[in-house]
Amino acid sequence: MAGYIVKRIAVAILTLLVIICITFLLMNAVPGSPFLTEKSTPEMIARANAKYGLDKPLYVQLFNYIKNYARGDLGTSLKMQEGTSVSKIIFHQGKFALSLKLGLYALLLAVVIGIPLGCIAAYNRGKWIDGFLRVVTTVGVAVPTFVLATLLLVTFAVKLQKLPTLSGSLPDFKSYVMPVISLSFYYTCYVAKLTRTSMLDAINQDYIRTARAKGVKTRALILKHALRNSLIPVITYLGPVMAGIITGSFVVESTFSIPGLGKYFVQSVLSRDYPVIMATTVVLSALVILMNLVVDIAYKIVDPRITLTSKED
Amino acid sequence: MKKTIALLLALCMLFALAACGQSAAPAPAANDTPAAPASNDAPAAPAANDAPASNDAPAADEPFVINACIASEPETIDPGLISSVDGSTYTQHQFENLMKYKMVAENPADDANMQNTEVVLGQAASYEVSDDLCVYTFTLRDDIFWSDGEPVKAGDFVYSWQRLVDPATASDYGYFLDNIVLNAAAIQAGEKDKSELGIKAVDDKTLEITLEAPCAYFLEMCAFASLVPLRQDVVEGNDNWTDPANIVVNGPYKVVEWVHDSYLRMEPNEYYYDAANLGPDAIVWWLSDSETAILSAYQSGEYDFIENFPTDLIADLQASGDCFINPYVGTYYLYLNCSKITDWRVRAAMVLSVDRDNIVENVTQGGQVPATGFVASGILDSTGTDFAFGVSELGALYNTLQKMYPDADLSTYAGKCELAKQLYDEAVAEGAWDSGTTVVYNFNTSETHKAIAEACGHDWQDVLGMNITLENQEWATYTNGLSEHGFGVARLGWIADYNDPVTYLELMVTGNSYNYGLYSDESFDADITQAKASLAGPERDALLYRAEETLFGEGGFPVCPIYYYTNMYCMNGLTNVGYTGMGYFFFWYAQQA
Repeated sequence: MAGYIVKRIAVAILTLLVIICITFLLMNAVPGSPFLTEKSTPEMIARANAKYGLDKPLYVQLFNYIKNYARGDLGTSLKMQEGTSVSKIIFHQGKFALSLKLGLYALLLAVVIGIPLGCIAAYNRGKWIDGFLRVVTTVGVAVPTFVLATLLLVTFAVKLQKLPTLSGSLPDFKSYVMPVISLSFYYTCYVAKLTRTSMLDAINQDYIRTARAKGVKTRALILKHALRNSLIPVITYLGPVMAGIITGSFVVESTFSIPGLGKYFVQSVLSRDYPVIMATTVVLSALVILMNLVVDIAYKIVDPRITLTSKED
Repeated sequence: MKKTIALLLALCMLFALAACGQSAAPAPAANDTPAAPASNDAPAAPAANDAPASNDAPAADEPFVINACIASEPETIDPGLISSVDGSTYTQHQFENLMKYKMVAENPADDANMQNTEVVLGQAASYEVSDDLCVYTFTLRDDIFWSDGEPVKAGDFVYSWQRLVDPATASDYGYFLDNIVLNAAAIQAGEKDKSELGIKAVDDKTLEITLEAPCAYFLEMCAFASLVPLRQDVVEGNDNWTDPANIVVNGPYKVVEWVHDSYLRMEPNEYYYDAANLGPDAIVWWLSDSETAILSAYQSGEYDFIENFPTDLIADLQASGDCFINPYVGTYYLYLNCSKITDWRVRAAMVLSVDRDNIVENVTQGGQVPATGFVASGILDSTGTDFAFGVSELGALYNTLQKMYPDADLSTYAGKCELAKQLYDEAVAEGAWDSGTTVVYNFNTSETHKAIAEACGHDWQDVLGMNITLENQEWATYTNGLSEHGFGVARLGWIADYNDPVTYLELMVTGNSYNYGLYSDESFDADITQAKASLAGPERDALLYRAEETLFGEGGFPVCPIYYYTNMYCMNGLTNVGYTGMGYFFFWYAQQA
């Protein structure tokens, strides 16, 4: 197991290097400059390029990025908060923490509500409750987040005035309600659908029939036998989703004025703030790689028959 | 094995919790009382306007906090680096220049709570001008201090101006003093040292500025946000000098808290000479770009003032008495690329056949004024007349054509279309234009730009039979394309930097960086050069009027002005708010309505 983790970490570093190179190349292939405004001249852009070292050859710039990342230096913002260190923006200004908090609550909600709903639907297959849940979850995965977020905002903040319009830095419970619901609704519904399908598969397996014949009670049958097996596809899905959801949502953060990482990442691309694009991509990629590793280990916990290492390891 | 898994999961959880623990700053407290402004000998606070006090006005001892949202997170609030209107607004609240904007008893729109401003002496107590009008000597006020108690010195202006033009600063407004203040252009070009800029501190209270040539709008420029004084010991060597903990200002307010991408909170600067008369106890500038969220916050009472909201709701908001429309000195226009659309008659036909009334009434719907020239309405000539209508009611866009084609009725859209068709057909008949050519119209991603492009494209197709292709690009790609001149038609907006026609007309001078349509006319260039070196007066006015008529005469039409901008805002519960046509709002003397 330890050997496996070491191997995975080595592969992760290599993957990150490839990601850095590809991001750098793509970023420079797209036309534009962080210093372009309606009133910028070629001379002004050249001066700004010289100031931030963007006039150096591309391979030198790439090498500098890699060298700085190895030292833990994520660079300095050129545009969005000119002159401020990117690590300060991401970590010390609380952007990552905000997106992470929001994402974890949304994920928690998706799991805590989605999985039981899927189980209920599967167990009551063909009954009205299954039909009802199927309609709700289908609508849930079809409705875009911005529609739901706007609907919640107008209803609960503007009309009823029960919840704050500006969630800001999420200072209290009320400020979490709408962003978390907006962010988790799609995932809750998707997890419910996924759980229902895999639970139905599990329920029809021979070992469940045998257990039922042996007189195992329905509750124990679902919770102890069927659920565990049916969770594997859900975990497979949740791994990458977790990385995505905790690193922020542009739509939710924009709608509720939350200064999180998701919004910042999208804006960095539009503003061509190269160091911010590179740094956020590296941080997000590292998270995705980490989450994939966690998922692989979680497989093992859920299903001891799965082996993580090959025989040679 | 199990231990390893447990350890790894525990580490993950710890990591997550640690990150969660980095709590961002809480929302700004509405109740914290700001430091009491130093009492000085200034007269008592001006009475609020005649607007009756609202019944639900807060108790007298409750702090008066303005919650405003004018834009999203600013790129910077460093006056030497700012280039946006919001960045300038924050600067105007924190710093005061030699000249400043003062409210006058006049409303820019039909909102009695909003007042126009004029440029008056600010940090300067007086100024003298030399006989050749090239040397300005400012004497600073005796009662001006930085927010740390240090006196404001003439050297602070020298440092700030030199820093602005220093190529190493790479300021967006580094060009601002080019050809105005002595040696500014040469310093920008790297040919001279910044110490050779035509500004020097004669002593701590006397500032001498030498110009290249007389400049009619120099005093107006001295109110501009990029030229405010800065303290060298505060700025130098500290990349984070604009952080609330480090910043030192000389204006009425000072930022005390900045939660990035959330809000900027300003409180009165107790060392400001007029601190006793300031209005709000705090101004919280909320930083958001979601129009829906901004409007929702305004409607739920969390914001008192907003600038950006969905345009399709303007009519409703105006009807409810929330939304007002101010004039804004800016022109929305299209570049007609002279290297692609080579015949001026085709360009003139395109300019004539755009139904501007339709665009402002049905597309933009924000009270914009159909453009009749390139120089924006609100820019005045030396007699105080609006330059856009200085020659005739028709405007510069049509004046020359009317003289060339006296029989045409250019006062109506039908008459304009008739002449447009005639000019276009002439060009086609003479082989100067291939009617099968497809013109590419580029615009940057925006529903409004798209709708305007569709309206113009429809008019050109309908009236002239031209083939138009619309191409949408995101901003950075779009601006890159502009400088490569690959477009047929491309949009842009230009907001005046100062109140003088030159701010627009010089964009079309041969070789100017913003002359994206590659227009070139010797007589136009000569008129602008001469006007820039002339004093305000009838002769200079005549040069500028003639230049704009040349721009829209035979061989011209490199731009197709669409409309003059307006500035829309929603305001509730405030009065005595100041405004300039450049788009800046001032809240420092605001009162509760």
